[in-house]
Amino acid sequence: MVAMTQLRVGERAKIVDLSQVSNLVKRRLLDMGVTEGAEICLKCTMPLGGPFMIENCGQCVGIRRNEAKNIQVKPL
Amino acid sequence: MMHIALVGNPNTGKTSLFNQLTGTYEYVGNWSGVTVEKKVGVLRNKQAKMIDLPGVYSLHPLSRDERVVTQFLLTESFEEILNIVDASQLERNLLLTVQLLEFGKPLMVALNMVDVAKRRGIFIDQQKLAEALRVPIVSVVARTGKGCDQVERMLMEKVSQEAKPLHIYYGSALERAIARFIETWGAEEKFPARWLAIQFYEGNSYVRDYVAKKLPETTWRSLYEQAEKEVQQAEQASLDQLIYERRRSFVKEVIEQSVQRQEIGRVTVTDRIDAVVTNKYVGIPIFLLAMYMLFQLTFDWLGAPLSDLLDAFFAGPLTDFVTAMLEAIGASEFIRALVVDGIIAGVGGVLVFVPQIFILFFFISFLEDSGYMARVALVMDRLMEAVGLNGKAFIPLIIGFGCNVPGVMAARTIEQPRERLVTMLLTPLMSCSARLPVYALFVGAFFAANQALVVLSLYVLGVSLALILAKLFSLTILKEEASVFVVELPPYRMPQWQALWRSTWDKGKGFVKKAGTFIFGGSVAIWLLSYAGPNGMNVNMDDSFLALIGGVLAPLLAPLGFGTWQAGAALLTGFLAKEIVVSTMNIIYHVPDVESLQGLMASHFTPLSAFSFMAFVLLYVPCLATVATIYKETRSRKWTMFSIGYALVLAYIVSFVIYQIGSMLGF
Repeated sequence: MVAMTQLRVGERAKIVDLSQVSNLVKRRLLDMGVTEGAEICLKCTMPLGGPFMIENCGQCVGIRRNEAKNIQVKPL
Repeated sequence: MMHIALVGNPNTGKTSLFNQLTGTYEYVGNWSGVTVEKKVGVLRNKQAKMIDLPGVYSLHPLSRDERVVTQFLLTESFEEILNIVDASQLERNLLLTVQLLEFGKPLMVALNMVDVAKRRGIFIDQQKLAEALRVPIVSVVARTGKGCDQVERMLMEKVSQEAKPLHIYYGSALERAIARFIETWGAEEKFPARWLAIQFYEGNSYVRDYVAKKLPETTWRSLYEQAEKEVQQAEQASLDQLIYERRRSFVKEVIEQSVQRQEIGRVTVTDRIDAVVTNKYVGIPIFLLAMYMLFQLTFDWLGAPLSDLLDAFFAGPLTDFVTAMLEAIGASEFIRALVVDGIIAGVGGVLVFVPQIFILFFFISFLEDSGYMARVALVMDRLMEAVGLNGKAFIPLIIGFGCNVPGVMAARTIEQPRERLVTMLLTPLMSCSARLPVYALFVGAFFAANQALVVLSLYVLGVSLALILAKLFSLTILKEEASVFVVELPPYRMPQWQALWRSTWDKGKGFVKKAGTFIFGGSVAIWLLSYAGPNGMNVNMDDSFLALIGGVLAPLLAPLGFGTWQAGAALLTGFLAKEIVVSTMNIIYHVPDVESLQGLMASHFTPLSAFSFMAFVLLYVPCLATVATIYKETRSRKWTMFSIGYALVLAYIVSFVIYQIGSMLGF
């Protein structure tokens, strides 16, 4: 199990733990179907500590690096 | 007349469907939050009204436009719900459908993007889905209008059917809590009390406020706390977690019964575009290039030649024709002067810029409809984070380039109240299209060789100041909350010409309308003030009332490089709408066309003072309409006054610095 920030671009992973993510962000992620157990793919990262773009079931979501840091995933 | 509520997730084609069903002009966008207001249209068969509600993921609101939906369900009367569902994202779309079904109003599902789903290997058995949800389902293609006839027909038929609210079992602990709530609350007439109870326990802030209005605080608090405790004990989960999980497993079951999946490993067009557009290294340069192209097209390549044609028409054939007409009917000299020097000069001087403004709005609509706007939020987030905002705040700012009013309203999609307020306060610094005529006038006169570059520098000035002030505001007056950023990036879509033209026209028509009303009236008033003076009518312009009023301001403006009564008068009238600055100048300098006005201005301005004047016009106060919108959105007199006050101070300082330092450097 690693933090999402450890993934390489293009790597797929399963979300294991969202409990450390701030409430508002977690709610939004759940709204978009990004839940524990969901399979995601890291699409790209923005430079200088910018946001991460992840894909889940064909839809893309952008989140900040410091939130991604708190998401535990299991690489597939 | 029957009322139908249209509800759905963001980016599901909701607004397109609304347009197809009602046939009225509506704003179509891809950015989650373009539909920020409640919009009502009449169905094509004229038998029902449809209300387009903001796109939401859940009824439990996080941002202000999400509150609108719960508020609507609780307080307004309507007969049916039309729920648009994106077939390619069935699971999260149905999470909302479930909450609507619990509400118990007759509901019908319009299943959109079945083709997209198929390409992703998702095959939906519509009949089974309809059985599992126990609602009628029609598949539609919202963009082309396919299936909309059937939707309309079924909406009419369904009224008679009585709907039974969906009943999901939430586990014994929560079910007991729901029963306690219903017992305390009593029955509801318009919707099931069970729905209210579930939303209350889930933490829906609007529902909580609604409950708190009827129940004493100790009562509802103890209801909530008891439920929280019991659910924690029984299920080891918080209330909202439990409710979410139960709904999700219901939805999963429904999907299992009705959907077949095939693994298709395919790279979509969106993936390919995103590989470039959101690339780590070229993402930002591409965004800047896109902005540069936008300005080149608007000002140099397309807009300027069209404006010149229009100007030649107003100054030549139109003026000659009107003069001849007035002579023929024997109008007095006063009337002739009013029409030709007041109205044609004032209104025409502004209408000349219609092509540029429409081109600008066209490209902004294109960015919205194509899905690129959300990428801009992603690409710009790092920069915005550094100044205490988030990437989403960049969208109101870009929309503000077109017009500050929708820009201020677009800030509603920002979840954090603090970030939303700062964004609203800063949007007026974005150089809107009404300021364009002012630049075009001065740039043509003083910077003919570098038009686009000088105009671009003003836009950059506005954006830079906005960023600096954002940092300043976040550090000082508004520093409590942390900033948050989650954004959905919808697939790219080629915008449809029809929709593009509609939204361009919707945005641009305000400008034309303003020319016919505000600027028309303003021109007449300004002309009268310049025609009359303390010593009677038809006075020398320098002895007119206008000169008198402008003269009061002149000494104040002298350190900025434009201490003339003409500049003072133009700026004063510019508060109504910034383009009136041009109308006023046209009238004051009393010239037939833009070209000769530009020639005349060379004797009143230097290139440096012209630039200082443009910077002042950019910053000095939001126009009347924007001030009214800020007040409407913030509901605060204090912040509205602040938005005017800080802008005036800022404009004065910036113009002062430009002029004084420029003079020292010998410009």
